[in-house]
Amino acid sequence: MSGVIEGGWEFVIAAYTVSALLLGGYATSVFLRFKKEKARATNEVSG
Amino acid sequence: MRASSARSIAFVAFGVALLLAGSWWGLAKAPGEVFMGDVQRIMYVHVPTAWNAMLALTFAFVCALCFLFTNAWKWDNRLEAGMEMGVVLSLLLCMQGSIWAKPTWGVWWDWDPRLTTTAVMVFAFGGILALRAFVDDPVKRAVWSSVACIVAFVDVPIVYFSVKWWNSLHQAQSTPQTVSSAFHWPLRINAFGILFLWIGLVGLRARVAALRRRGEMAPPLTQKQPATGRAPITGGAV
Repeated sequence: MSGVIEGGWEFVIAAYTVSALLLGGYATSVFLRFKKEKARATNEVSG
Repeated sequence: MRASSARSIAFVAFGVALLLAGSWWGLAKAPGEVFMGDVQRIMYVHVPTAWNAMLALTFAFVCALCFLFTNAWKWDNRLEAGMEMGVVLSLLLCMQGSIWAKPTWGVWWDWDPRLTTTAVMVFAFGGILALRAFVDDPVKRAVWSSVACIVAFVDVPIVYFSVKWWNSLHQAQSTPQTVSSAFHWPLRINAFGILFLWIGLVGLRARVAALRRRGEMAPPLTQKQPATGRAPITGGAV
């Protein structure tokens, strides 16, 4: 054993994929909630 | 659209652009590390996530203090948004760390001081968010979660200093002194990318909290109803 890690790209890809999915998913949920609350507030004012 | 919402969206877009640039640099341009090889490239997302998770929770702590001192709703909106963002980033931090731990330590998880205190941080702030969801009275919800946030924040500096205070399996803090200069740029770009991303998202999320609370506290008024019954707390801004 040389003490040097060989390969490991599958772990790198997994880490970046998890990061993109979690941050992207959270950003999408915030945008959707923002849109929904804005529409509700507009409806309350107009109706 | 309000100017603040447009600004938040611009922050998110700029953050995503920086993250794409920093990740490309980290994956394609930066050299591999001598012992960890390509696995070390996880550092370019893991370390910026750690810095920003602690920063977002520090922001929530400041908002909790400001709310208790001023009683202005805008601080409660920001507290809710900052805490939620901090929990998402802390959870992501644990997942990235686990993926990095497997090839380097041989295990997905270890009850080492850094990892244990980080897990406590996720559960403590996640618990406060759950508490908020169960309290119907907006005033009680704001006061209780501010106090709980201040108590839970005690763990954040413990997470940061855990690798210094205890003999930890986790590596030392990543600073310009402990990280090779060849790795600095992708780290910095991604750190600012996540920073801009969460500032934008917290801005939008705080607006969601403001609109939701306004709906809870002030039902639509008709001409016959007097405008009374609001809680004696000031400020409607985000």
